Amino acid sequence: MQVYLPIAEMSVDAFLLVGIGFGVGWLSGLFGVGGGFLLTPALLLLGIPAPVAVASGANQVLGASTSGVIAQSRRGNVDWVMGVVLVAGGLFGSLIGIQLFAFLRGAGLVDAVVSIFYVVVLGSVGSLMVMESVRAILRRRADAPARLHQHFWMHGLPFKIRFRKSRLFISVVPPLLVGAGIGLLSAIMGVGGGFMLVPAMIYLLGIPTAVVIGTSLFQVVCVTSAVTIMSAWQLGSVDIVLTLLLLLGGVSGAQFGAQMGGRLRGEETRALLGLLVLSVAAMLFWGLIDTPDHMFTLGPG
Amino acid sequence: MRRLVTLLLLWATAALAQPEAPLVARLSQDRVEVSTTFDGASILVFGSTAQPIGPGGAEILIVTTGPQQPFTVRRKIRVLGMWFNGPAARFAAVPAFYSVAGTLPAWRLLPEALRSQYHLGLDVLPMASTGARAPQFRAALLSLKQEAGLWQEDSAPVEIGANRLFHSRLPLPATIPAGEYTVRVLLVESRRVVAEQVQRFVVERVGTAATIADVSRGQPLLYGVICVALAALAGWLGSIVFRRS
Repeated sequence: MQVYLPIAEMSVDAFLLVGIGFGVGWLSGLFGVGGGFLLTPALLLLGIPAPVAVASGANQVLGASTSGVIAQSRRGNVDWVMGVVLVAGGLFGSLIGIQLFAFLRGAGLVDAVVSIFYVVVLGSVGSLMVMESVRAILRRRADAPARLHQHFWMHGLPFKIRFRKSRLFISVVPPLLVGAGIGLLSAIMGVGGGFMLVPAMIYLLGIPTAVVIGTSLFQVVCVTSAVTIMSAWQLGSVDIVLTLLLLLGGVSGAQFGAQMGGRLRGEETRALLGLLVLSVAAMLFWGLIDTPDHMFTLGPG
Repeated sequence: MRRLVTLLLLWATAALAQPEAPLVARLSQDRVEVSTTFDGASILVFGSTAQPIGPGGAEILIVTTGPQQPFTVRRKIRVLGMWFNGPAARFAAVPAFYSVAGTLPAWRLLPEALRSQYHLGLDVLPMASTGARAPQFRAALLSLKQEAGLWQEDSAPVEIGANRLFHSRLPLPATIPAGEYTVRVLLVESRRVVAEQVQRFVVERVGTAATIADVSRGQPLLYGVICVALAALAGWLGSIVFRRS
Protein backbone atom coordinates (compact mmCIF):
# COMPACT_ATOMS: atom_id res chain seq x y z
CA MET A 1 0.00 0.00 0.00
CA GLN A 2 1.63 3.21 -1.19
CA VAL A 3 1.37 6.17 1.15
CA TYR A 4 2.39 9.73 0.30
CA LEU A 5 4.77 11.29 2.83
CA PRO A 6 3.76 14.97 2.89
CA ILE A 7 7.11 16.42 3.99
CA ALA A 8 9.47 14.00 2.24
CA GLU A 9 7.21 14.59 -0.83
CA MET A 10 7.41 11.01 -2.04
CA SER A 11 5.36 7.83 -2.08
CA VAL A 12 6.60 4.84 -0.08
CA ASP A 13 5.11 1.45 0.72
CA ALA A 14 3.50 1.79 4.17
CA PHE A 15 4.10 -1.88 5.04
CA LEU A 16 7.78 -1.51 4.23
CA LEU A 17 8.04 1.40 6.69
CA VAL A 18 6.20 -0.52 9.42
CA GLY A 19 8.48 -3.48 8.68
CA ILE A 20 11.64 -1.39 8.98
CA GLY A 21 10.27 0.05 12.23
CA PHE A 22 9.60 -3.48 13.49
CA GLY A 23 13.06 -4.76 12.55
CA VAL A 24 14.85 -1.83 14.14
CA GLY A 25 12.56 -1.99 17.18
CA TRP A 26 13.25 -5.71 17.56
CA LEU A 27 17.01 -5.16 17.45
CA SER A 28 16.78 -2.22 19.85
CA GLY A 29 14.71 -4.27 22.28
CA LEU A 30 17.16 -7.16 21.95
CA PHE A 31 20.19 -4.99 22.67
CA GLY A 32 18.53 -2.43 24.95
CA VAL A 33 19.38 0.59 22.78
CA GLY A 34 17.19 3.24 21.18
CA GLY A 35 17.83 2.16 17.61
CA GLY A 36 18.05 5.62 16.01
CA PHE A 37 21.48 4.79 14.63
CA LEU A 38 19.95 1.91 12.65
CA LEU A 39 16.76 3.69 11.68
CA THR A 40 18.16 6.83 10.05
CA PRO A 41 20.59 4.89 7.78
CA ALA A 42 17.72 2.55 6.79
CA LEU A 43 15.65 5.59 5.78
CA LEU A 44 18.58 7.04 3.83
CA LEU A 45 18.95 3.74 1.94
CA LEU A 46 15.22 3.91 1.11
CA GLY A 47 15.85 7.23 -0.62
CA ILE A 48 14.24 9.51 1.99
CA PRO A 49 16.00 12.91 1.81
CA ALA A 50 18.65 13.20 4.55
CA PRO A 51 17.06 16.16 6.42
CA VAL A 52 13.70 14.32 6.64
CA ALA A 53 15.35 11.02 7.60
CA VAL A 54 17.31 12.70 10.41
CA ALA A 55 14.47 14.83 11.84
CA SER A 56 11.84 12.08 11.61
CA GLY A 57 14.35 9.59 13.05
CA ALA A 58 14.82 11.83 16.10
CA ASN A 59 11.05 12.18 16.40
CA GLN A 60 10.65 8.37 16.26
CA VAL A 61 13.30 7.85 18.98
CA LEU A 62 11.36 10.30 21.15
CA GLY A 63 8.21 8.21 20.78
CA ALA A 64 10.04 4.92 21.32
CA SER A 65 11.69 6.17 24.55
CA THR A 66 8.62 7.75 26.17
CA SER A 67 7.23 4.65 27.85
CA GLY A 68 10.71 3.73 29.11
CA VAL A 69 11.24 7.03 30.89
CA ILE A 70 7.77 6.82 32.47
CA ALA A 71 8.50 3.32 33.78
CA GLN A 72 11.98 4.25 35.04
CA SER A 73 10.81 7.37 36.85
CA ARG A 74 8.04 5.37 38.58
CA ARG A 75 10.74 3.06 39.92
CA GLY A 76 12.76 6.08 41.06
CA ASN A 77 15.63 5.33 38.68
CA VAL A 78 16.04 8.88 37.32
CA ASP A 79 18.62 11.26 38.80
CA TRP A 80 16.71 14.47 38.03
CA VAL A 81 19.58 16.82 38.92
CA MET A 82 21.98 14.94 36.65
CA GLY A 83 19.21 14.75 34.04
CA VAL A 84 18.68 18.52 34.04
CA VAL A 85 22.44 19.17 33.70
CA LEU A 86 22.70 16.70 30.80
CA VAL A 87 19.60 18.18 29.13
CA ALA A 88 20.96 21.73 29.49
CA GLY A 89 24.11 20.64 27.68
CA GLY A 90 21.99 18.68 25.19
CA LEU A 91 19.83 21.70 24.29
CA PHE A 92 22.94 23.76 23.60
CA GLY A 93 24.50 21.00 21.51
CA SER A 94 21.37 20.36 19.47
CA LEU A 95 20.91 24.09 18.81
CA ILE A 96 24.44 24.20 17.38
CA GLY A 97 23.72 21.00 15.44
CA ILE A 98 20.58 22.42 13.80
CA GLN A 99 22.44 25.60 12.75
CA LEU A 100 25.22 23.46 11.27
CA PHE A 101 22.60 21.35 9.50
CA ALA A 102 20.89 24.42 8.02
CA PHE A 103 24.24 25.70 6.76
CA LEU A 104 25.16 22.32 5.23
CA ARG A 105 21.80 22.06 3.51
CA GLY A 106 22.37 25.43 1.86
CA ALA A 107 25.75 24.18 0.62
CA GLY A 108 24.29 20.88 -0.64
CA LEU A 109 26.54 18.86 1.69
CA VAL A 110 23.97 17.36 4.07
CA ASP A 111 24.03 13.81 2.66
CA ALA A 112 27.81 13.50 2.65
CA VAL A 113 28.32 15.05 6.10
CA VAL A 114 25.55 12.95 7.72
CA SER A 115 27.23 9.84 6.27
CA ILE A 116 30.66 10.93 7.49
CA PHE A 117 29.29 11.52 11.01
CA TYR A 118 27.80 8.02 10.94
CA VAL A 119 30.98 6.40 9.66
CA VAL A 120 33.20 8.13 12.25
CA VAL A 121 30.88 7.77 15.25
CA LEU A 122 29.61 4.26 14.53
CA GLY A 123 33.04 3.10 13.39
CA SER A 124 34.71 4.13 16.64
CA VAL A 125 31.84 3.12 18.94
CA GLY A 126 31.51 -0.25 17.18
CA SER A 127 35.25 -0.96 17.43
CA LEU A 128 35.30 0.00 21.13
CA MET A 129 32.28 -2.22 21.83
CA VAL A 130 33.79 -5.23 20.09
CA MET A 131 37.19 -4.77 21.75
CA GLU A 132 35.70 -4.14 25.18
CA SER A 133 33.38 -7.13 25.04
CA VAL A 134 36.07 -9.47 23.70
CA ARG A 135 38.34 -8.33 26.55
CA ALA A 136 35.49 -8.90 29.02
CA ILE A 137 34.86 -12.39 27.67
CA LEU A 138 38.57 -13.19 27.98
CA ARG A 139 38.70 -11.68 31.48
CA ARG A 140 35.72 -13.79 32.50
CA ARG A 141 37.64 -16.87 31.40
CA ALA A 142 40.75 -15.66 33.27
CA ASP A 143 38.58 -14.81 36.28
CA ALA A 144 40.32 -11.50 36.96
CA PRO A 145 38.56 -8.75 38.93
CA ALA A 146 37.59 -5.54 37.13
CA ARG A 147 38.29 -2.06 38.50
CA LEU A 148 35.16 -0.03 39.02
CA HIS A 149 36.04 3.58 39.70
CA GLN A 150 39.13 5.59 38.90
CA HIS A 151 40.20 9.13 39.74
CA PHE A 152 41.68 11.27 36.98
CA TRP A 153 41.99 14.91 35.76
CA MET A 154 38.23 15.32 35.44
CA HIS A 155 37.79 15.34 39.19
CA GLY A 156 39.85 18.51 39.57
CA LEU A 157 37.39 20.72 37.65
CA PRO A 158 35.43 23.54 39.43
CA PHE A 159 31.61 24.10 39.84
CA LYS A 160 31.13 20.91 41.81
CA ILE A 161 27.62 20.00 42.86
CA ARG A 162 26.16 17.05 44.68
CA PHE A 163 24.16 14.50 42.68
CA ARG A 164 22.42 12.67 45.53
CA LYS A 165 20.81 9.88 43.56
CA SER A 166 24.05 9.09 41.74
CA ARG A 167 26.04 9.42 45.00
CA LEU A 168 28.47 11.74 43.21
CA PHE A 169 30.09 15.07 44.07
CA ILE A 170 31.57 16.22 40.77
CA SER A 171 31.91 19.31 38.59
CA VAL A 172 28.96 20.12 36.29
CA VAL A 173 31.38 20.71 33.40
CA PRO A 174 31.83 17.06 32.30
CA PRO A 175 28.10 16.20 32.28
CA LEU A 176 27.39 19.49 30.44
CA LEU A 177 29.99 18.61 27.79
CA VAL A 178 28.72 15.03 27.50
CA GLY A 179 25.15 16.34 27.12
CA ALA A 180 26.23 18.90 24.51
CA GLY A 181 28.12 16.29 22.49
CA ILE A 182 25.12 13.94 22.46
CA GLY A 183 22.81 16.85 21.57
CA LEU A 184 24.98 17.73 18.57
CA LEU A 185 24.96 14.11 17.35
CA SER A 186 21.22 13.92 17.92
CA ALA A 187 20.57 16.92 15.68
CA ILE A 188 22.91 15.79 12.88
CA MET A 189 22.37 12.03 12.97
CA GLY A 190 18.75 11.78 14.13
CA VAL A 191 19.65 9.50 17.02
CA GLY A 192 18.89 9.59 20.73
CA GLY A 193 22.54 8.90 21.42
CA GLY A 194 21.94 6.34 24.15
CA PHE A 195 24.62 4.05 22.69
CA MET A 196 27.23 6.72 23.48
CA LEU A 197 25.54 8.39 26.45
CA VAL A 198 25.29 5.21 28.53
CA PRO A 199 29.01 4.30 28.32
CA ALA A 200 29.97 7.95 28.88
CA MET A 201 27.79 8.09 32.00
CA ILE A 202 29.20 4.83 33.38
CA TYR A 203 32.89 5.13 32.53
CA LEU A 204 33.43 8.90 32.30
CA LEU A 205 31.04 10.28 34.91
CA GLY A 206 30.95 7.24 37.18
CA ILE A 207 27.15 7.19 37.55
CA PRO A 208 25.82 3.98 39.17
CA THR A 209 24.35 1.53 36.65
CA ALA A 210 20.98 1.51 38.45
CA VAL A 211 20.18 5.13 37.54
CA VAL A 212 22.04 5.28 34.19
CA ILE A 213 19.24 3.87 32.02
CA GLY A 214 16.47 6.05 33.51
CA THR A 215 18.56 9.22 33.48
CA SER A 216 19.84 8.69 29.94
CA LEU A 217 16.28 7.99 28.71
CA PHE A 218 15.18 11.25 30.33
CA GLN A 219 17.96 13.11 28.49
CA VAL A 220 17.13 11.34 25.20
CA VAL A 221 13.41 12.21 25.42
CA CYS A 222 14.12 15.88 26.21
CA VAL A 223 16.82 16.34 23.55
CA THR A 224 14.95 14.52 20.76
CA SER A 225 11.89 16.66 21.59
CA ALA A 226 14.03 19.77 21.20
CA VAL A 227 15.55 18.43 17.95
CA THR A 228 12.05 17.66 16.62
CA ILE A 229 10.74 21.14 17.39
CA MET A 230 13.82 22.94 16.08
CA SER A 231 13.91 20.82 12.90
CA ALA A 232 10.22 21.49 12.26
CA TRP A 233 10.66 25.18 12.95
CA GLN A 234 13.90 25.95 11.17
CA LEU A 235 14.28 23.21 8.55
CA GLY A 236 10.65 22.11 8.01
CA SER A 237 11.90 18.52 7.83
CA VAL A 238 9.79 16.47 10.30
CA ASP A 239 7.44 14.05 8.54
CA ILE A 240 4.86 12.98 11.11
CA VAL A 241 3.34 10.34 8.78
CA LEU A 242 6.76 8.71 8.45
CA THR A 243 7.35 8.94 12.23
CA LEU A 244 4.03 7.34 13.15
CA LEU A 245 4.40 4.46 10.67
CA LEU A 246 7.90 3.72 12.01
CA LEU A 247 6.64 3.93 15.61
CA LEU A 248 3.82 1.49 14.87
CA GLY A 249 6.38 -1.16 13.89
CA GLY A 250 9.03 -0.02 16.34
CA VAL A 251 7.03 -0.23 19.56
CA SER A 252 5.73 -3.73 18.79
CA GLY A 253 9.15 -4.94 17.62
CA ALA A 254 10.86 -3.67 20.76
CA GLN A 255 8.61 -5.81 22.99
CA PHE A 256 9.51 -9.00 21.08
CA GLY A 257 13.19 -8.07 21.05
CA ALA A 258 13.27 -7.36 24.79
CA GLN A 259 11.73 -10.76 25.48
CA MET A 260 14.50 -12.47 23.52
CA GLY A 261 17.22 -10.20 24.87
CA GLY A 262 16.85 -11.62 28.37
CA ARG A 263 18.29 -14.94 27.15
CA LEU A 264 21.57 -13.46 25.86
CA ARG A 265 24.65 -12.89 28.03
CA GLY A 266 25.89 -9.31 28.49
CA GLU A 267 29.30 -9.59 26.79
CA GLU A 268 28.05 -11.60 23.84
CA THR A 269 25.20 -9.12 23.36
CA ARG A 270 27.64 -6.20 23.33
CA ALA A 271 29.94 -7.96 20.86
CA LEU A 272 27.00 -8.64 18.52
CA LEU A 273 25.77 -5.06 18.84
CA GLY A 274 29.30 -3.83 18.12
CA LEU A 275 29.44 -5.92 14.94
CA LEU A 276 26.03 -4.60 13.87
CA VAL A 277 27.17 -1.01 14.45
CA LEU A 278 30.37 -1.66 12.48
CA SER A 279 28.49 -3.12 9.51
CA VAL A 280 26.18 -0.07 9.33
CA ALA A 281 29.29 2.15 9.35
CA ALA A 282 30.90 0.05 6.60
CA MET A 283 27.77 0.26 4.44
CA LEU A 284 27.61 4.06 4.72
CA PHE A 285 31.36 4.33 4.08
CA TRP A 286 30.90 2.37 0.85
CA GLY A 287 28.16 4.84 -0.15
CA LEU A 288 30.67 7.68 0.30
CA ILE A 289 33.52 6.19 -1.74
CA ASP A 290 31.57 4.31 -4.42
CA THR A 291 31.54 6.21 -7.74
CA PRO A 292 28.00 7.65 -8.09
CA ASP A 293 25.80 6.66 -11.05
CA HIS A 294 24.94 10.28 -11.73
CA MET A 295 27.65 12.93 -11.55
CA PHE A 296 25.01 15.67 -11.25
CA THR A 297 22.23 16.08 -8.70
CA LEU A 298 19.13 18.25 -8.87
CA GLY A 299 17.74 20.00 -5.82
CA PRO A 300 15.16 22.70 -5.09
CA GLY A 301 16.25 26.27 -4.52
CA MET B 1 -10.91 4.97 -24.73
CA ARG B 2 -14.71 5.11 -24.86
CA ARG B 3 -14.64 8.39 -22.96
CA LEU B 4 -12.19 9.77 -25.48
CA VAL B 5 -14.41 8.81 -28.41
CA THR B 6 -17.43 10.38 -26.71
CA LEU B 7 -15.55 13.61 -26.13
CA LEU B 8 -14.33 13.72 -29.70
CA LEU B 9 -17.82 13.10 -31.04
CA LEU B 10 -19.17 15.90 -28.88
CA TRP B 11 -16.51 18.14 -30.27
CA ALA B 12 -17.18 17.14 -33.81
CA THR B 13 -20.78 18.29 -33.47
CA ALA B 14 -19.74 21.47 -31.62
CA ALA B 15 -17.18 22.28 -34.28
CA LEU B 16 -19.70 21.78 -37.07
CA ALA B 17 -22.10 24.10 -35.25
CA GLN B 18 -19.58 26.99 -35.15
CA PRO B 19 -17.46 26.75 -38.28
CA GLU B 20 -16.19 30.34 -37.95
CA ALA B 21 -13.64 29.64 -35.14
CA PRO B 22 -10.28 28.72 -36.73
CA LEU B 23 -9.19 26.75 -33.64
CA VAL B 24 -11.06 25.45 -30.59
CA ALA B 25 -9.27 23.57 -27.83
CA ARG B 26 -10.34 22.17 -24.47
CA LEU B 27 -8.97 20.06 -21.60
CA SER B 28 -10.63 16.94 -20.17
CA GLN B 29 -10.35 18.49 -16.69
CA ASP B 30 -9.27 21.79 -15.19
CA ARG B 31 -8.26 20.41 -11.79
CA VAL B 32 -5.90 17.60 -10.80
CA GLU B 33 -6.14 16.53 -7.18
CA VAL B 34 -3.01 15.12 -5.58
CA SER B 35 -4.19 13.01 -2.66
CA THR B 36 -2.28 10.72 -0.29
CA THR B 37 -2.56 7.82 -2.76
CA PHE B 38 -1.90 9.81 -5.98
CA ASP B 39 0.46 8.03 -8.36
CA GLY B 40 0.20 10.05 -11.54
CA ALA B 41 -2.60 11.08 -13.89
CA SER B 42 -3.09 12.29 -17.42
CA ILE B 43 -5.04 15.10 -19.04
CA LEU B 44 -6.57 14.97 -22.49
CA VAL B 45 -6.05 18.03 -24.68
CA PHE B 46 -8.46 18.00 -27.60
CA GLY B 47 -10.19 20.29 -30.06
CA SER B 48 -11.02 21.05 -33.63
CA THR B 49 -10.01 23.38 -36.45
CA ALA B 50 -11.91 25.12 -39.22
CA GLN B 51 -9.38 24.10 -41.88
CA PRO B 52 -8.08 20.60 -42.52
CA ILE B 53 -5.07 19.52 -40.48
CA GLY B 54 -2.51 16.84 -41.05
CA PRO B 55 -0.43 16.00 -44.15
CA GLY B 56 -0.89 18.74 -46.74
CA GLY B 57 -2.81 20.99 -44.35
CA ALA B 58 -2.13 22.95 -41.18
CA GLU B 59 -0.41 21.45 -38.10
CA ILE B 60 -1.05 21.57 -34.35
CA LEU B 61 1.46 22.29 -31.59
CA ILE B 62 0.68 21.98 -27.85
CA VAL B 63 2.96 23.41 -25.19
CA THR B 64 2.25 23.01 -21.46
CA THR B 65 4.09 24.96 -18.79
CA GLY B 66 3.88 24.45 -15.01
CA PRO B 67 4.77 26.87 -12.21
CA GLN B 68 8.20 28.53 -12.37
CA GLN B 69 10.54 27.31 -9.63
CA PRO B 70 14.20 27.71 -8.71
CA PHE B 71 16.49 24.67 -9.00
CA THR B 72 20.11 24.01 -8.17
CA VAL B 73 22.24 21.54 -10.11
CA ARG B 74 25.36 20.30 -8.33
CA ARG B 75 28.27 18.34 -9.72
CA LYS B 76 29.88 15.63 -7.61
CA ILE B 77 33.57 15.95 -6.93
CA ARG B 78 35.99 13.58 -5.26
CA VAL B 79 37.76 14.76 -2.12
CA LEU B 80 40.00 12.37 -0.15
CA GLY B 81 38.40 9.44 -1.98
CA MET B 82 34.86 10.47 -1.00
CA TRP B 83 32.19 12.00 -3.23
CA PHE B 84 30.76 15.41 -2.32
CA ASN B 85 28.48 17.88 -4.05
CA GLY B 86 30.82 20.45 -5.52
CA PRO B 87 30.25 23.34 -7.96
CA ALA B 88 26.63 24.40 -8.35
CA ALA B 89 24.58 26.28 -10.91
CA ARG B 90 21.35 27.90 -9.76
CA PHE B 91 18.47 28.25 -12.21
CA ALA B 92 16.31 30.94 -10.65
CA ALA B 93 13.11 30.35 -12.64
CA VAL B 94 12.52 27.34 -14.85
CA PRO B 95 9.19 25.56 -15.30
CA ALA B 96 8.72 22.75 -12.77
CA PHE B 97 6.78 20.97 -15.54
CA TYR B 98 7.12 21.42 -19.28
CA SER B 99 5.78 19.48 -22.23
CA VAL B 100 5.75 20.16 -25.95
CA ALA B 101 4.06 17.95 -28.54
CA GLY B 102 2.76 18.39 -32.07
CA THR B 103 1.41 16.66 -35.10
CA LEU B 104 5.03 17.07 -36.23
CA PRO B 105 8.07 18.13 -34.15
CA ALA B 106 8.09 21.91 -33.63
CA TRP B 107 11.50 22.39 -35.31
CA ARG B 108 10.06 21.10 -38.59
CA LEU B 109 7.13 23.53 -38.49
CA LEU B 110 8.43 26.88 -37.31
CA PRO B 111 11.58 29.03 -37.67
CA GLU B 112 13.75 29.26 -34.57
CA ALA B 113 12.71 32.86 -33.82
CA LEU B 114 9.07 31.82 -33.48
CA ARG B 115 9.97 28.71 -31.51
CA SER B 116 11.88 30.88 -29.04
CA GLN B 117 8.96 33.31 -28.77
CA TYR B 118 6.51 30.52 -27.89
CA HIS B 119 9.06 28.39 -25.94
CA LEU B 120 8.52 25.47 -28.31
CA GLY B 121 11.27 22.96 -27.58
CA LEU B 122 13.64 22.19 -24.74
CA ASP B 123 16.51 23.72 -26.74
CA VAL B 124 14.83 27.15 -26.75
CA LEU B 125 13.56 27.07 -23.16
CA PRO B 126 14.96 30.11 -21.30
CA MET B 127 17.25 28.76 -18.56
CA ALA B 128 19.18 31.66 -17.06
CA SER B 129 21.60 30.49 -14.38
CA THR B 130 24.03 31.87 -11.85
CA GLY B 131 27.07 30.12 -10.39
CA ALA B 132 28.98 27.47 -12.31
CA ARG B 133 29.07 28.35 -16.01
CA ALA B 134 29.91 25.08 -17.76
CA PRO B 135 27.28 23.94 -20.31
CA GLN B 136 27.16 20.49 -18.64
CA PHE B 137 24.99 21.95 -15.87
CA ARG B 138 22.31 22.94 -18.34
CA ALA B 139 22.54 19.54 -20.00
CA ALA B 140 22.30 17.83 -16.59
CA LEU B 141 19.18 19.82 -15.70
CA LEU B 142 17.62 18.81 -19.03
CA SER B 143 18.39 15.12 -18.62
CA LEU B 144 17.44 14.90 -14.91
CA LYS B 145 14.12 16.65 -15.57
CA GLN B 146 13.38 14.43 -18.56
CA GLU B 147 14.26 11.28 -16.59
CA ALA B 148 11.78 12.36 -13.92
CA GLY B 149 9.10 12.76 -16.60
CA LEU B 150 8.72 16.42 -15.64
CA TRP B 151 10.03 17.78 -18.93
CA GLN B 152 8.72 16.09 -22.06
CA GLU B 153 9.47 16.78 -25.71
CA ASP B 154 7.48 14.91 -28.37
CA SER B 155 6.94 11.95 -26.04
CA ALA B 156 3.77 11.16 -28.02
CA PRO B 157 2.52 12.91 -31.19
CA VAL B 158 -0.73 14.85 -31.33
CA GLU B 159 -3.22 12.57 -33.04
CA ILE B 160 -5.49 13.71 -35.83
CA GLY B 161 -8.99 12.35 -36.37
CA ALA B 162 -11.38 13.05 -39.25
CA ASN B 163 -9.20 15.82 -40.72
CA ARG B 164 -10.35 18.58 -38.34
CA LEU B 165 -10.12 16.98 -34.89
CA PHE B 166 -7.02 16.54 -32.79
CA HIS B 167 -6.25 15.11 -29.37
CA SER B 168 -3.19 14.51 -27.21
CA ARG B 169 -2.71 12.84 -23.87
CA LEU B 170 -0.58 14.78 -21.38
CA PRO B 171 0.96 12.41 -18.79
CA LEU B 172 1.49 13.93 -15.33
CA PRO B 173 3.94 11.95 -13.12
CA ALA B 174 3.38 11.25 -9.40
CA THR B 175 5.89 13.97 -8.49
CA ILE B 176 3.91 16.69 -10.31
CA PRO B 177 4.29 19.95 -8.36
CA ALA B 178 1.22 21.87 -7.24
CA GLY B 179 0.39 25.11 -9.00
CA GLU B 180 -1.12 26.66 -12.13
CA TYR B 181 -0.50 25.10 -15.52
CA THR B 182 -0.95 26.75 -18.90
CA VAL B 183 -1.74 24.74 -22.03
CA ARG B 184 -1.17 26.70 -25.25
CA VAL B 185 -2.50 25.18 -28.46
CA LEU B 186 -1.16 26.65 -31.72
CA LEU B 187 -2.44 26.22 -35.25
CA VAL B 188 0.53 26.42 -37.63
CA GLU B 189 0.50 26.92 -41.38
CA SER B 190 3.34 27.83 -43.78
CA ARG B 191 5.81 28.38 -40.93
CA ARG B 192 3.50 30.86 -39.20
CA VAL B 193 1.19 30.68 -36.18
CA VAL B 194 -2.27 31.38 -37.55
CA ALA B 195 -4.41 30.77 -34.44
CA GLU B 196 -3.84 30.25 -30.72
CA GLN B 197 -5.90 29.01 -27.79
CA VAL B 198 -4.86 29.07 -24.13
CA GLN B 199 -6.35 26.76 -21.49
CA ARG B 200 -5.40 26.43 -17.84
CA PHE B 201 -5.56 23.74 -15.21
CA VAL B 202 -4.63 23.63 -11.54
CA VAL B 203 -2.75 20.91 -9.64
CA GLU B 204 -3.84 20.93 -6.02
CA ARG B 205 -2.81 18.93 -3.00
CA VAL B 206 -5.88 17.65 -1.14
CA GLY B 207 -6.63 15.56 1.93
CA THR B 208 -4.60 14.82 5.05
CA ALA B 209 -1.22 15.08 3.32
CA ALA B 210 -2.04 18.59 2.10
CA THR B 211 -3.22 19.66 5.56
CA ILE B 212 -0.02 18.34 7.16
CA ALA B 213 2.17 20.09 4.59
CA ASP B 214 0.21 23.34 5.04
CA VAL B 215 0.47 23.31 8.85
CA SER B 216 4.18 22.48 8.69
CA ARG B 217 4.79 25.47 6.40
CA GLY B 218 2.35 27.96 7.93
CA GLN B 219 2.77 27.14 11.64
CA PRO B 220 6.16 25.37 11.89
CA LEU B 221 6.55 25.85 15.65
CA LEU B 222 3.04 24.57 16.41
CA TYR B 223 3.64 21.68 13.99
CA GLY B 224 6.85 20.74 15.83
CA VAL B 225 5.05 20.69 19.17
CA ILE B 226 2.27 18.53 17.67
CA CYS B 227 4.87 16.08 16.31
CA VAL B 228 6.42 15.76 19.78
CA ALA B 229 3.02 15.20 21.41
CA LEU B 230 1.83 12.69 18.78
CA ALA B 231 5.07 10.67 18.86
CA ALA B 232 5.08 10.56 22.68
CA LEU B 233 1.41 9.56 22.77
CA ALA B 234 1.83 6.91 20.07
CA GLY B 235 4.92 5.47 21.79
CA TRP B 236 3.20 5.35 25.16
CA LEU B 237 -0.04 3.83 23.79
CA GLY B 238 1.93 1.34 21.70
CA SER B 239 3.90 0.11 24.70
CA ILE B 240 0.61 -0.60 26.49
CA VAL B 241 -1.04 -2.32 23.51
CA PHE B 242 1.97 -4.48 22.63
CA ARG B 243 3.11 -5.20 26.21
CA ARG B 244 4.23 -8.79 26.44
CA SER B 245 4.58 -9.98 30.01
